[in-house]
Amino acid sequence: MRRVLDALAVLIAAVVIFPIYWMVLAAIKPAGEIQSLHQRPWTLSPSLDAFRRVLAVNDFGRYLLNSLIVALVVVLISGLIAFLAAVALTRFHFRFRTTILVVFLIAQMVPVEALTIPLFFLVRDLGALNTLGSLMLVHTAFTLPFAIWMLRGFVAAVPDELDEAAQLDGASRLTVLWRILFPLIAPGLAATSVFSFIHAWNDFLFARTFIISATDRQTLPMALLVFFKPDENDWGAIMAASTLMTVPVLIFFLLVRRRLVSGLGGAVKD
Amino acid sequence: MKLRLATAAALALTLTACAPSTSTPGAAPSDGGARTGTLKVWLFDEPNRAPKEKVVNEAVAEFTAAHQGTKVDIAYIAVDTRSERFKGAFNDPASAPDVVEYGNTDLPEYAAAGGLADVGPAVTAWSEGADLSPDAKSSATYEGTLLGVPWYVGVRALYYRTDIFQELGLKVPTSIAELTTAARTVRAKKPELFGVAVGGKYTYAAMPFVWDAGGDITSLNSAQSRAGLKAYTDLIADDNCPPQQCADLTGGKTVDLFASGKAAMGILGNFNRAAVDAGAAKGKYAVVPLPGSKPGSIAPAFAGGNNLGIMKNSQRPALAADFLTLLAGKKYQSEMYDAMGNLPTLKSASAVVAAKDKFVEPFITTISNGTKFVPLDPGWGKIDASAVLPTMIEKVATGKSTVEQATDEAAKQVDAALTK
Amino acid sequence: MRQRFTPLWLLLPAAVVLGGLFLYPMYQLGLISVLDFRQAQVSGGQPTRFVGLDNYVQLFTDPQFWSVLLATVGFAAACVVATLAVGAGLAVLLTRISRVPRLLLSLAAMAAWAVPAVSGSTVWMFLFDTDLGFVNQLLGTEGFNWMYDRYSAFALVGAVVVWSSFPFVMVTLYAGIEAISRSVLEAAALDGASTWRTFWQIMVPMLRPVLAVVVIQSIIWDFKIFTQIYVMTRGGGLAGQNLTLNVYAYQQAFASSEYGLGSAIGVVMMLILLAVTVLYLRTLRRSGEPL
Repeated sequence: MRRVLDALAVLIAAVVIFPIYWMVLAAIKPAGEIQSLHQRPWTLSPSLDAFRRVLAVNDFGRYLLNSLIVALVVVLISGLIAFLAAVALTRFHFRFRTTILVVFLIAQMVPVEALTIPLFFLVRDLGALNTLGSLMLVHTAFTLPFAIWMLRGFVAAVPDELDEAAQLDGASRLTVLWRILFPLIAPGLAATSVFSFIHAWNDFLFARTFIISATDRQTLPMALLVFFKPDENDWGAIMAASTLMTVPVLIFFLLVRRRLVSGLGGAVKD
Repeated sequence: MKLRLATAAALALTLTACAPSTSTPGAAPSDGGARTGTLKVWLFDEPNRAPKEKVVNEAVAEFTAAHQGTKVDIAYIAVDTRSERFKGAFNDPASAPDVVEYGNTDLPEYAAAGGLADVGPAVTAWSEGADLSPDAKSSATYEGTLLGVPWYVGVRALYYRTDIFQELGLKVPTSIAELTTAARTVRAKKPELFGVAVGGKYTYAAMPFVWDAGGDITSLNSAQSRAGLKAYTDLIADDNCPPQQCADLTGGKTVDLFASGKAAMGILGNFNRAAVDAGAAKGKYAVVPLPGSKPGSIAPAFAGGNNLGIMKNSQRPALAADFLTLLAGKKYQSEMYDAMGNLPTLKSASAVVAAKDKFVEPFITTISNGTKFVPLDPGWGKIDASAVLPTMIEKVATGKSTVEQATDEAAKQVDAALTK
Repeated sequence: MRQRFTPLWLLLPAAVVLGGLFLYPMYQLGLISVLDFRQAQVSGGQPTRFVGLDNYVQLFTDPQFWSVLLATVGFAAACVVATLAVGAGLAVLLTRISRVPRLLLSLAAMAAWAVPAVSGSTVWMFLFDTDLGFVNQLLGTEGFNWMYDRYSAFALVGAVVVWSSFPFVMVTLYAGIEAISRSVLEAAALDGASTWRTFWQIMVPMLRPVLAVVVIQSIIWDFKIFTQIYVMTRGGGLAGQNLTLNVYAYQQAFASSEYGLGSAIGVVMMLILLAVTVLYLRTLRRSGEPL
């Protein structure tokens, strides 16, 4: 029985990974093999031409860096703020607690396209147009509600007795927060950080709305968008660009993988 | 009732009092602004930008050599995101460039937003200004004001496979009827091929049929428009290009089909040459103007293309005009043809290009035969974005609606968008 | 005394960020939805005008809106159910297999999760391309256009949605199951309970808090699907047959700068989602699970 299930799991894994394999394959296939009526699931003459075309985008390194900076700052700030808010919402009972929770839910329901205009004026009035800071700010706001929702479960999973005991030992509230709660819910933070990272990393709606004239503050998705023209049908370049977009997220995933699995499980209360 | 009205009025008042903030269009300096400093220029990015960049850099070098103390800062913006970038520039004058390249179909929207400056005086003062054809000028004119200089145009014509035509003993079509017959013959004799590749999302291939029949976008449900549309959708049929495969094709996909050798004919632009030459059809094709319904006539083509304009917020309008006229001049128009295959808009430049390269002849013939354009109205943006025309073609091609129903529906949407 | 102030201090940073960047724009969203607000108004070319409920009337009298709404709800529901079923099924599978296959499956799932939506949609589109697609060549159905039929197009897009969103469900539920103490499950096994019964009668109740998060998030995300539809059906499919509300809003309003109308659609979408969620929260509360 177990063997059958093992085989099934491997088969499913293969199906799931296949599109990604195809993406990388198409990126390294020579042009003639892509526009072909007989697609082969391998290539005998891999070429990096497509990658070269994509990397020829001026300042590729700078755009990559910009995207990474934005995503990492968003992960840190939104994780921190969400942690504090999650503690408030689980450790304390006060009026409007449920209301606040529902507001966080509603916040996720607004179609973001609809908010671009008000946010544009807000950012302009702050004088933050054309800065990476504007992107960090809005992405922090957009990732917060979900992060708080997720972290709530993790904080709740840490028994109350733990911080009470610490307080009896004379620890201040702040100490309890940093020395006891924070390390315990670190896996949970890892799990939520994945979402924040992906969100900030993939965005180009706000990047193209806020970064109007400063070319050196562009983010990677905007720079790669020029290849996403189905009409040009340069599948090789599209797939190479996609691969390059995926790799950093994948690395991030692998870094937090262990904590992610144990982390997401922490949301279950015993 | 009275009370309710009063409440509504009060509500309206409060609402306008705290209405969302808007921009105040900045005033351009009346004396032409500073003659030194940095000139910001936006041009469209291309998947293969290097040749374009080379020509532009040459122009910049020439410009800065002639204008002491100036710098030109060129930014290449993605076509896909141009609309956000332009809106951003209109809304935040501080971020706005001085000179911009923009698609001529975007003109009415930008004009209505009040973002572009009148370049009429600059063109009058320009030595090559008189060389612009009236057709080209009118495509850059909105409500009587010239808001840009046409930089290049692109038109579509009929590409056909010489080898297949020879093998099947077909004549080059000189009318829509002949085109249709030739297409069906190819499909009948070589079922693995499409006669002429046409697509439901390929508006700019369909419109010449409508215009040729005497119809227009503003009168889609007229008898003429319907006849033209039917001539086109009749091609999306099993005996030429089956709806299952062709009803949702975009223009780019038909290029692909022709280039890869799956279609004997295609309605492609002068700008598609490189793509076709990269495929199996290379060296086995020729181009003629797309025929009209009358034998020997030419169907009016859509004159797509890009203009160069000056932003209203520019702080250096005089300098901007100097750079614009340099880049739009004969020298760089012909160089841009060599680099990107863009058809020049100046008569002198297109004569140079035509003398050099026989390939452009059918396209220039098409242009001189008269071209058509989308309605110069800010509502066009809405018609385009909500896919009114492709939806109409697709409904007919898939048999979801009759020509009458589909055109009535589309005409209603066009009217609603244009009168708003 | 201190006790009362602490939650406020802790909530303050979140309140500042969300109040400024969310509540205020949301208030503006409602405001714009009753105005005639287009690009000309934004850039100050024309004054804004109060139009009352005109934008909403225009929306509700458009027959296409209703059919798009219906399609959206149906498509989102199908995606939610499929994602949950696949995710939950694979989560249970993960608990019953050896280490190496488990590692392979979870790595594959995470890779699918990591692929940006634009890239994922594009590669699937390429795999299912009419002429150049590997799938058609594999099945010997060359020339079959998956996007021609409304339902096959929706099914294909749905498959991509499930592919990219099941990993979240799978990993979360798997982690949840792992957290349930072994002894409980072993006791159930000793009692001779079948896998099916263990799943429904022990795991599901214990996993309810996690399930709640997963279900609510899936509803919110799948209702707002944009990229997959927009990219794969080239903006709504043949004659608009595959339009969903978000893409429809984008086409009708945002792409042509009709912000008044767009905001109205945004408000309507928000209200629908809110209704669904509140309904779900009610059932949760009735079954004894406080928020």
